[in-house]
Amino acid sequence: MKESIAAEAALAPPKEPSRPGRASADAARRRKRLVTVTRPWLLLAPSLVVLAGLLLWPLIEVGKLSLQDYEVKFGGGVGTWTGFDNYADLLSNDLLWRTVLPNTAFFAFACVILTVGFGTLVALLLNRLGTLWRVVCSTAIMAAWAMPAVTGTYVWVWLFAPEDGLMSKVAGGLGLIDPETTNWFTERLGFYAIATLNVIHHGFPFVAITVLAGLMTVPKELYEAGMIDGASAWQRFWRITVPALRPIFLVVTILSTIWDFKVFTQIFLMPGGSGSNEEVMNLGVYSYIEAFAKNDYGAGAAAAVMLTLLLIAITLVYIRTLFRQGEEDL
Amino acid sequence: MRKFVIGAVSAAMVLGLAACGSDSDDGDGGGDALDGKGKTLDVWIMKGTNPDAKPFFDKLNAEFEKKTGAKVNIEEQQWESAQRKFTTAIEGGPDQVPDVAEVGTTWVPQFAETGGLVDVTDQVKEAGLDQDLVEGLKDAGTLEGKQYGMPWYAGVRGLVYRKDIFDKHGLKPPTTWEELRDVALTLKKEEPDMISFPVAGGAEMFAMPFVWGAGGEPAVQEGDTWKSAINSPESVEGLQFYTDLATKDGLSPAKVTTWREDEVAQEFTKGNVAMTISGNWTPKTFIDEAPELEGKLGAAPIPGKDGGMSPSFLGGSYLSTFDSDKKELAWEYVKMATTGKYAAEWAKQTNYFPGTNTELEKIAAEGDPLVEPFAKQMLEAGATVPKTTSYGEIQASQVVLKLVQSVLKGDQSVQEAADKAAGEMDDIFAKSE
Repeated sequence: MKESIAAEAALAPPKEPSRPGRASADAARRRKRLVTVTRPWLLLAPSLVVLAGLLLWPLIEVGKLSLQDYEVKFGGGVGTWTGFDNYADLLSNDLLWRTVLPNTAFFAFACVILTVGFGTLVALLLNRLGTLWRVVCSTAIMAAWAMPAVTGTYVWVWLFAPEDGLMSKVAGGLGLIDPETTNWFTERLGFYAIATLNVIHHGFPFVAITVLAGLMTVPKELYEAGMIDGASAWQRFWRITVPALRPIFLVVTILSTIWDFKVFTQIFLMPGGSGSNEEVMNLGVYSYIEAFAKNDYGAGAAAAVMLTLLLIAITLVYIRTLFRQGEEDL
Repeated sequence: MRKFVIGAVSAAMVLGLAACGSDSDDGDGGGDALDGKGKTLDVWIMKGTNPDAKPFFDKLNAEFEKKTGAKVNIEEQQWESAQRKFTTAIEGGPDQVPDVAEVGTTWVPQFAETGGLVDVTDQVKEAGLDQDLVEGLKDAGTLEGKQYGMPWYAGVRGLVYRKDIFDKHGLKPPTTWEELRDVALTLKKEEPDMISFPVAGGAEMFAMPFVWGAGGEPAVQEGDTWKSAINSPESVEGLQFYTDLATKDGLSPAKVTTWREDEVAQEFTKGNVAMTISGNWTPKTFIDEAPELEGKLGAAPIPGKDGGMSPSFLGGSYLSTFDSDKKELAWEYVKMATTGKYAAEWAKQTNYFPGTNTELEKIAAEGDPLVEPFAKQMLEAGATVPKTTSYGEIQASQVVLKLVQSVLKGDQSVQEAADKAAGEMDDIFAKSE
């Protein structure tokens, strides 16, 4: 871009115009157009350079790595190009289709629905509270948000610890389970139920605060008009709140989906979650084990690229459906 | 203004460096000692082996500086993240690797394969140390006749039990597998609140003695290649006995299915475990953490199937030198730390065993009842896992743990789970060829 400006500038003066007025007007218009085209890019350049350095370049490297068989060597590893072998191996892996992908997808699906649902309910509650209680409740919610994933996970594990944890004691006391023979962590459903609680607990504050911010911008007149027309609370929520907050729901759903698909820490730190129990493996743990335990960086990179593509696809579908709905309503 | 500050700071730094340089001139540097004046060795040590390692290294480093004039920079690494950190440093080459590092014996094959570790076989011979090294430990860091560093300290697992509870019910430490089962059954009946023998699904080295004890092996070498043997009749027999303790005899409740070794240790200090497989370094830490256990602990080797001992994993750490420009100086440091008084001192402070026979025999001769059974286990029934990068990957993928856990959960029979594990092992072996 810069070069073309320079070239333009260099070319313009020596031209000896026969009809000065028109030509200079032409040149001015051209220059103006050029400035209009280049200015936004020039302004964006610093952030684009940073983004390219921090995001694009690693992404390209991961893409390259996923097409290689990489061997760690002293002073710099050696990658052998293997085409799409890593992807072929990955996609022909029974474990991926039978366990890893279903776990990842169902878990993410459940987490997103429950996080957004619960977060919205909390936001509605906060919106109705007076200032004092709103501050108290928001602070409590923020505390859940601020808790590091590692700490949060250990607390949930501790609560559900078989035989000794609070939940096991309560369930045992009620006669629901036999604490000595029940270990929730070794079963797929139990494991993911606990993980889901953990992720919702950690994720709903973001949704609640964001939706609350949205709720506060919805004009009161709309609700008043609705009430005058005899709309019930239920109708007011679905006919006024939800349409008004569509962009906000779009954002929190997309972000939650991305976060919940790539959950790693919360699974890895749970008993059996680091790979010793295949039944509960998700895509994050799977690619970690492929890359770092088996030193197969290519396979790990291929799994990461797959996850990225999957997320992009899901995000695109979301955006399309939500915007299309928006257009239909208009 | 800013320029001035920068100038002043750099001037101060130059002066500071100069001051350091003149300081080290005082070192005696006599004899054949290497001249390390103005040089600094970077040393990576694992955190946690010695809870308070600073006094030890202060002393060692001061003496090293006196001898060579070189300073030492100790950097403590976490076990969980160290392997990745090493890999990254190795990728970075001579400028990024530490000069000396503590390397777990099971990492040696992987690091050596990258070409980053220095083969010190000749230096060890030259220093007259080759005959004195504990055989199993020397073997663990030697590949195709090349030794990659000096054994520094080692540990082995045996049986640790509550002597007070055993005495109360007139029990003796078991000497065969059947006795182990009987003792545990009695404990379950008499002490229903305690776990009589944890079959921990997250502790690989609890299961392995039973594989080895039955005459099995995780994998065997055939010529140049390795083949899994975890599903051989012997291995399966051992694993069957071990897992039956939980699934048939109910000696280990469901919560133990995912327990790792540190969780077993934690429950032991809480007084909830009557007998368990445990490392030689643990009895002293148990007593440190729970002083009421003082005098109530006993130790024994892991019983063999029909008497004798079941082999137990002999693990430890090497001090190895990386291929940096300070190799000679680094080797001096390794020699100083892994022999003589510093080796003995480190072993004593950490409750591990030293890597040389001379020092190990001294410890065994002291006759401590919480040390001697382990020394016996180490000298007579120590075992190592296959020394290949692939087996390191098999361990990191937790193949044996997956096997044990799926049996404990009741998903698969031992034979089914072992066949699956064998398949996984062979896949990983095949990949490296």
